Amino acid sequence: MATLDKLKNGFKGDLEVLTDEPSLSVISIKNKKLLKKLAWQIKEEFDILYSLAVVDYSPNFELNYIFSNYKNADILILKVNITEKDFAIDSITDIFSSANWEEREAYDLFGIKFNGHPDLRRILLPEDWPGHPLRKDFKVDDEIRNWTGLDLKF
Amino acid sequence: MEKENSIRLNIGPVHPAMHGVLKLILDVKGDTIIKAQTEIGFLHRASEKIAEMRYFANYYPIMDKLDYVSALNMEILYASVVEKAANIEIPKRAVYIRTIMAEIQRIMSHLVFIGSFGEDIGNMTGFIWALRERELLMNIVEKISGGRLAPMYICNGGMFYDFPQGIEEDILKALSTIENKVNHEYNAMFTKNQIFLSRTKGVGILTKDMVIKYGITGPIARASGINRDLRKVSPYLAYDKVDFDIPIENDGDTYSRFVVRTREILESIKIIRQCIKDLPPGPYKAAVPWIIRIPKKDTLVKQESPRGEMGVFLVTDGGDKPYRLKLRSPTFFAIHALEGLLVNIRVADAFVIVASMDPVMGEVDR
Repeated sequence: MATLDKLKNGFKGDLEVLTDEPSLSVISIKNKKLLKKLAWQIKEEFDILYSLAVVDYSPNFELNYIFSNYKNADILILKVNITEKDFAIDSITDIFSSANWEEREAYDLFGIKFNGHPDLRRILLPEDWPGHPLRKDFKVDDEIRNWTGLDLKF
Repeated sequence: MEKENSIRLNIGPVHPAMHGVLKLILDVKGDTIIKAQTEIGFLHRASEKIAEMRYFANYYPIMDKLDYVSALNMEILYASVVEKAANIEIPKRAVYIRTIMAEIQRIMSHLVFIGSFGEDIGNMTGFIWALRERELLMNIVEKISGGRLAPMYICNGGMFYDFPQGIEEDILKALSTIENKVNHEYNAMFTKNQIFLSRTKGVGILTKDMVIKYGITGPIARASGINRDLRKVSPYLAYDKVDFDIPIENDGDTYSRFVVRTREILESIKIIRQCIKDLPPGPYKAAVPWIIRIPKKDTLVKQESPRGEMGVFLVTDGGDKPYRLKLRSPTFFAIHALEGLLVNIRVADAFVIVASMDPVMGEVDR
């Protein structure tokens, strides 16, 4: 992909190309501080954040930013790793508006903080839900099964 | 905007005019909405967490209940991602049967949209008529798979049963009935009906920029003049072997979103007729063991569901269960756009606009 060469030139050393197929490219960056700068570059070719898939490889968490556009079937997957000690990353909502709810979902289900997000609160689960259920260390026990959200005793 | 004279209106999650359990929080001044917020999550069933606890072959019933109006599309999508990850080649007959079933389900889904849209603008007759046509196809799906709403028909490597004898004639007969009704009765009921036109023309205009801003795909984007359909852009199943058009409208209002879906029904009928003509003989299923192990890799598959581009991102680690399964649902992004779309319009129009998005909350909340 032409975009890939441009990105590689702009981010020498920091950017690693994992897959380079006609309609799918996978890249990864080590330094998460470069995310916003890279997102501005990606914005020139890709219109929307298609999806944000977080994978729990405790203690590391891998964020898969999937970008797509309306012109063709190209997909760009950007992998960023964050650790549990520093569990925050810059929000790209100001660059890709479609990232807004996807980042809220990642915050809801994994507890990742997105710095600079305009409205970071839970989206799928209730406000007072205990824990972040898609993490691998989340145990589904009776307390969770019988959770009602109400302070009632029967 | 001054807040003093506004009233906060909570609509839903359980409300007769809402689609599923969507909640709208509207700040209303007189009859005009000045701010709209949406709240989702009332149908959250942790589908992505359940995926990590089940064998690959045991996840189909959960996919059925994601978008319960187009269950077969969801099953085909999940089968495609598992087969792509495990390098399973499916027979040619299975590809064609899947294409036929996907398009039958698309017609059924759009008929539900037409019906519920009619109901929301006060056209109860349209609702009954659309469900009457849907019943014809429901019976066919029942004959083929044994199920109606959640058919459980697709499995890894193909499908559970072959087509029963003589089902092709039944399908063709039902299709010609539906084509006739859509071309004649639905025009009289909807697109040439003055009341319908005054409720929908120019209401809730979604511009091209807004579509791109919110990441909306599918019929909603095509009603705003964006020519993108995954069946053409990156053909899967047998879509590159059949001839069909992509309906495009340029106005972006609720009327366009209705017309695009109506015309898509006619295109789907075209696809099914060609597939039945070319339906190859042979096995309908590849031999795949029930428990399979997939080496460590990431797989992304996206397909055109009746509501837009549905995607699955599957992460495997060599085990017999997915390590992580992320579902990308199209209506999730469309519901987000309601915050921008439901501003400076009348309260009565809000329901028409929500209905034109055709949300199925099972897929939004996962």
